[in-house]
Amino acid sequence: MRHKILKISALLLLIQLAGCANLGVQPWERDLLAKDEMALDSEGNDLGLDDHIYFSKEGTSGGRAFAGGGCGCN
Amino acid sequence: MEIGLTNNEQAAFTMQHKSDHYCGRFYAMASPCELLIDTQDEKLAKQLTSIAQAEVIRIEKKFSRYRTDNLLHQINHSQGQSVIIDDETYRLLQFANTCFELSDGMFDLSSGVLRKAWNFNGSDQLPSPELVSSLLPRVGWQRLRFTSNELIMPADMELDFGGIGKEYAVDCVAKLCNQLAPKLSVVVNFGGDIQVTCPRKKDQSWHIGIESLQGEDLTAQLLHIKAGGLATSGDARRFLLKNGKRYSHILNPNTGYPVEDAPRSVTVAASHCIQAGLLATLALLQGPEAEQFLQNQNVQFWCYR
Amino acid sequence: MKKTINITAALASATCALLHPYASANDMLEGWKVDTSLMYYGETDRVTAVETVIAGQKDFGDERLFTGKIVIDTLTGASATGAVAQLTAQTVSRPSGQGSYTVNAGETPLDNTFKDTRVQVDGQWTQPWSDVSRITTGLHLSTEHDYYSLGFNGSYAHDFYNKNTTLSGGLAYSYDVIKPEGGLPVPFSTKTASTGYSEDYDDDGYIEEDGDDNYANDERSGSSDNKSTIDVLFGLTQVINRRMLMQFNLGVSQINGYSTDPYKVLSIVNDQGLTQSLVYENRPDSRIKTFAFWQTKYALDFGVADFSYRFATDDWKVDSHTFDSRLRINLSDSSYLQPHFRYYNQSAAEFFQPFLMEGQALPEFATADYRLGEMTAYTLGLKYGMELDNGDELSFRLEYYQQSPKNAGFTEPGTLKDVDLYPSVKAVIAQVNYRF
Repeated sequence: MRHKILKISALLLLIQLAGCANLGVQPWERDLLAKDEMALDSEGNDLGLDDHIYFSKEGTSGGRAFAGGGCGCN
Repeated sequence: MEIGLTNNEQAAFTMQHKSDHYCGRFYAMASPCELLIDTQDEKLAKQLTSIAQAEVIRIEKKFSRYRTDNLLHQINHSQGQSVIIDDETYRLLQFANTCFELSDGMFDLSSGVLRKAWNFNGSDQLPSPELVSSLLPRVGWQRLRFTSNELIMPADMELDFGGIGKEYAVDCVAKLCNQLAPKLSVVVNFGGDIQVTCPRKKDQSWHIGIESLQGEDLTAQLLHIKAGGLATSGDARRFLLKNGKRYSHILNPNTGYPVEDAPRSVTVAASHCIQAGLLATLALLQGPEAEQFLQNQNVQFWCYR
Repeated sequence: MKKTINITAALASATCALLHPYASANDMLEGWKVDTSLMYYGETDRVTAVETVIAGQKDFGDERLFTGKIVIDTLTGASATGAVAQLTAQTVSRPSGQGSYTVNAGETPLDNTFKDTRVQVDGQWTQPWSDVSRITTGLHLSTEHDYYSLGFNGSYAHDFYNKNTTLSGGLAYSYDVIKPEGGLPVPFSTKTASTGYSEDYDDDGYIEEDGDDNYANDERSGSSDNKSTIDVLFGLTQVINRRMLMQFNLGVSQINGYSTDPYKVLSIVNDQGLTQSLVYENRPDSRIKTFAFWQTKYALDFGVADFSYRFATDDWKVDSHTFDSRLRINLSDSSYLQPHFRYYNQSAAEFFQPFLMEGQALPEFATADYRLGEMTAYTLGLKYGMELDNGDELSFRLEYYQQSPKNAGFTEPGTLKDVDLYPSVKAVIAQVNYRF
């Protein structure tokens, strides 16, 4: 059963990856995506500070990037 | 078209206030030159236009092949002797060299001598094959030798920056505008070779009409551009017609003859005007495969046959 | 001509050389993009932190990028020790064993000498590997008086389908040294604690006692220990359409080494719920964490919507769900308002216990650190940003963060029923950013 689920999820992932070929935009349609505020790390300092706060106050960390070690606040 | 450049040097530009921008116009490089400036500040618009005009005149003076007092004249009359070149010339030569290599010799700034045989005036007067073959040995970019400060060109050759000059001027002016007014959207349009410096304030597009040949008719297509470069290459009125066969003004430097089955006009969009211009010219040199070539480049283009 | 070859990239770099001749030979100070932040984090009655960040990015042309960051933060104030509140005042010794303090009745024991300055330096270099791929390497350094960390990382990203899809894989290693004040406590050894009544509270509710009077019998097992962390991260970034961008990350993190908090204790209570003694906590020396992260950004006509969800699980049985959303609303061409909402929920670690019962066998591992207990937290914030006439950006952020620890099914003996074992932690975050 578990095997089957694994196989199905692998298949689904493959289909999704193949689907990626049909997603997306042409280079000249990147006007909106090219804006600074659309970058995934557009608020680098905010995200870094948040990561540090939540790393030291909560039981899990990471997600956006490496979870890492790094400081003795936890 | 030959230009009476000296008369234009002092010519003033005109400034028009449109609904949501200013439009500065002047004439240079044998083309109408236009700046659309996304501002309500007339003083700024005038300042930018006057800087643009000065820059175009500077480039034209330096690289026009119709002048006798410039560096290009010196190069073309160097008789095989070394000529001292400046940094800007070196960069243009480097760029031309890259284009020569990328096109396997099809893009050649020394191919201008072939015009001694070909006069594309819409007539049916083809040159004699002997004349063409006598000129061919004088074409050959690979025979040029240059470093960052000197150039040696064989005496029988001629250089002509016509293939990239106007697009280069467009990009230089766009760069100046960008330095002076970093976040102001300016359209630099020199006879259909266009660069938009950055998106407009309210994120609208600029609507720009591009003239191209559709069959025998001149049509204007309205394009919506937010930023980037646009250039058109085509034979417009420059062609020869003999026995129903059309000879475009795009010459193959390897054969000395016009490229066959080339589109009448090609317009390409790229991040810089000079890139767009090069891709359009290289596409024309591909003849029947022009569209295929452009598709492989992942750029937006419009081809008319 | 090689008709199938794409010459656009070669042409683009030739164009760059033609139009921006000095891009790579620029003065070192030219071309830096700098982002600076000053953040204040303050909990009611507990920790206060002030953190300064200076992040810089320099483009060396040809898509070669250096990113550097310096972080300096100062923590002052008190943090929870793990000991339970009592109906009577308690005396607790300091981590160093030097002196002790008294905690008011009904209050959660905090360690009020907590004060530390941390300096962190990060550097990262990105460069193309081929036309459609790039590599990034980074170095991380962090130091404070009782903790040192050194890490490095490397990752590879490959673009597909016209750069609409990017797959990436990365590896990070970090080596940390823990050097607690007063040495490493022996797990479950007794920390001095006496219950008693006291009358002369100072303003903070703490009573200072002289260190000489304190008959600390803390046992120490050494002065320092270390831990290493290996992270593996896989990422997929996908452009969905002209307005939408998505990111999926999968990560595994393996920690080996000293993972105990040397300053945290557990109360041993009797049947009446009275604290008999305090013992140092003990956590397993390995932890494997796994997480999945999904983020999407959508360009609206009036701004940007940003939403992310993270699921994390580990072999300590801490499972968590995090929802984070930001909505940027452009007020004009040059200013915006951005509300922020975050929700966090975690289950307790399997060895979490709010206290230990007297007379029962000691477990192998135990912690009363509420950060490993069951908890829900949320953040509400608002950011205002504006672009100045010279193109620089100034922004302000104000947020409220509340943690609500929960009882994960423990029954409280006697008087412990009458005290709050799971007090909420409320904090305010205020931040100023300046980008130039």
